[in-house]
Amino acid sequence: MIFNSYPFLFGFLPVVLAGTFLLARLGARAAQLWLILASLVFYAAWNARYLPLLLGSIVCNHAIAVQMIRTRNVSTRAWLLRFAVAGNLLLLGYYKYTGFFLDTAGAIACLDISWPAIVLPLGISFYTFQQLTLLADIAAGRIETCRFRDFLLFVVFFPHLIAGPIVHHRDMMPQFETADYRMKPENIAVGLVLLTIGLFKKTVLADGLADLVSPLFHAAESGHGLSPAYAWAAAVGFALQMYFDFSGYSDMALGLARMVGLKLPMNFNSPLKARSIVEYWSRWHMSLTRFLTAYVYNPLAMALARRRAAAGQPGLAGPKTTWAAFGAIVALPTLTTMFLSGLWHGAGNQYLLFGLIHGVALTVNHAWRLARPKIWPDTARYQRLAWPAGWALTFLTATVALVWFHAASVAAGWNIVAGMVGLNGVSGPPPVFGEPRTDIVGGPLLQLSVWIGVGLGLALVPPNALELLRSWQPALGMPPAAASRWPAFALTRGWACATAALAVAGVLGLGRVSEFLYWQF
Amino acid sequence: METVTALARLTDLFRDMFGDDTLILTPETTAADVPGWDSMAHIGLMVEAERRFGVTFQTVEMEELTNAGEFATLIARKTGAEARAR
Repeated sequence: MIFNSYPFLFGFLPVVLAGTFLLARLGARAAQLWLILASLVFYAAWNARYLPLLLGSIVCNHAIAVQMIRTRNVSTRAWLLRFAVAGNLLLLGYYKYTGFFLDTAGAIACLDISWPAIVLPLGISFYTFQQLTLLADIAAGRIETCRFRDFLLFVVFFPHLIAGPIVHHRDMMPQFETADYRMKPENIAVGLVLLTIGLFKKTVLADGLADLVSPLFHAAESGHGLSPAYAWAAAVGFALQMYFDFSGYSDMALGLARMVGLKLPMNFNSPLKARSIVEYWSRWHMSLTRFLTAYVYNPLAMALARRRAAAGQPGLAGPKTTWAAFGAIVALPTLTTMFLSGLWHGAGNQYLLFGLIHGVALTVNHAWRLARPKIWPDTARYQRLAWPAGWALTFLTATVALVWFHAASVAAGWNIVAGMVGLNGVSGPPPVFGEPRTDIVGGPLLQLSVWIGVGLGLALVPPNALELLRSWQPALGMPPAAASRWPAFALTRGWACATAALAVAGVLGLGRVSEFLYWQF
Repeated sequence: METVTALARLTDLFRDMFGDDTLILTPETTAADVPGWDSMAHIGLMVEAERRFGVTFQTVEMEELTNAGEFATLIARKTGAEARAR
């Protein structure tokens, strides 16, 4: 059952909401138990066979959590954490990476063997990491109690179970206690607007782009060399599709949670407006960035920085930082973190390449921040003049990296990027669009250009859904408001009509089965 | 150590780090107010603070800090706790 489907929107959701509001009259506990039950049904509707795996993972992790809290001994806690990390990663590794490693090993040994495919249980990457953050924070002595009911709801709550936002216990656990699960007009209104905008992004924008972009990727995968116009259209079209798909999903997740009185963290903040790749990651899949920063980058960078300090070598010292210190304390952890991010996204060399491109880009960006004041000392002038170049470079990097995110293989992605720089020569449209045509500006290319124009306009100019709703605090962790000439959402007839129009368009787009791109992780 | 003292010594640390002798930290100062206080500089600040104040931070504590006041409070608490442990 996916968010953008009739059974979910017109069957499951109304029943869950009605049940929550009714049971909330009996108390928060009844509402929580109902939400847990609903979430398990939601998960089982995809494939009930994997429900025991999800529950087994939760029961084991909770048992370890309780044990860690009970023993106050720091080293026992550390050992329990190591055991839990190893166990969780082995489970994730089995489902996610076995096939990849067997194929890679087979390819190295020049064997042509096909292994039986292992189905990836839905959401396993998300629920594994969410539980690990909780255990890590217990080991650090940050959590004193961990009730099973809260733990269960924290992991399985259906709005974020499959594809995030990756929630932090610090955000959720206190809310479970204090939330008002009863029906509140404000929560329903804010939730419905978010749900509507998310649905529109998914079924109209992302799916509309996908219809034109996917054939181009398939053509590239089957070896057809795309000409520059088609290659650029494919790459930029997919970057926009990915943004509308995943941010639309996140908007829907936040809206669903809000209807029952719970708030989730902000996951997207108009990333395509970013003027540097560092800024891009503070706006794109923000909950993953936060997770990777807190649990991979910071521990690694701190350990390396301490080691240098202990050895008497210079560390990070603002503008006086040496390149040796930069390499050891910034470049190394950045590349490692983004490599792991690529691996987390999927078992395949193309994902590793995606991670490496971002790792290198982030390192270059940090190096530029260090070197720029020496090369161009007038900061105010630099900020006023250089941002278009920064934006273009960021957009280009993110777009090219996303090609490998979508391509079935490194070679297929390379085929598109080669087309972008003209290595495939100039030819007509790929055969997937029917008979070759001589007018390369007409037909699907023109259509795709219009979609890209509209998509770029929507992604770059107006405020995003969460900014529109700012005065109702639609998300946790929103940055402070910037000055805006746009009108904010208000409870007026005009906004009601606009929302209704988006909802109609979004629902009319429901006809097809189209999973969210991030459900594969 | 008092939070006020920690904030004053933290100001010196920031001035050395960012090479700006006019920099003034208040409890409400955030990363957005100090040019150059990004994720990379933050690691440097934490490690230098560990050295100068003789404390050790947990990485989860780094991430929870939202302004200079919380940074100073954390240092004050840690130096207090470590003095008691001795």
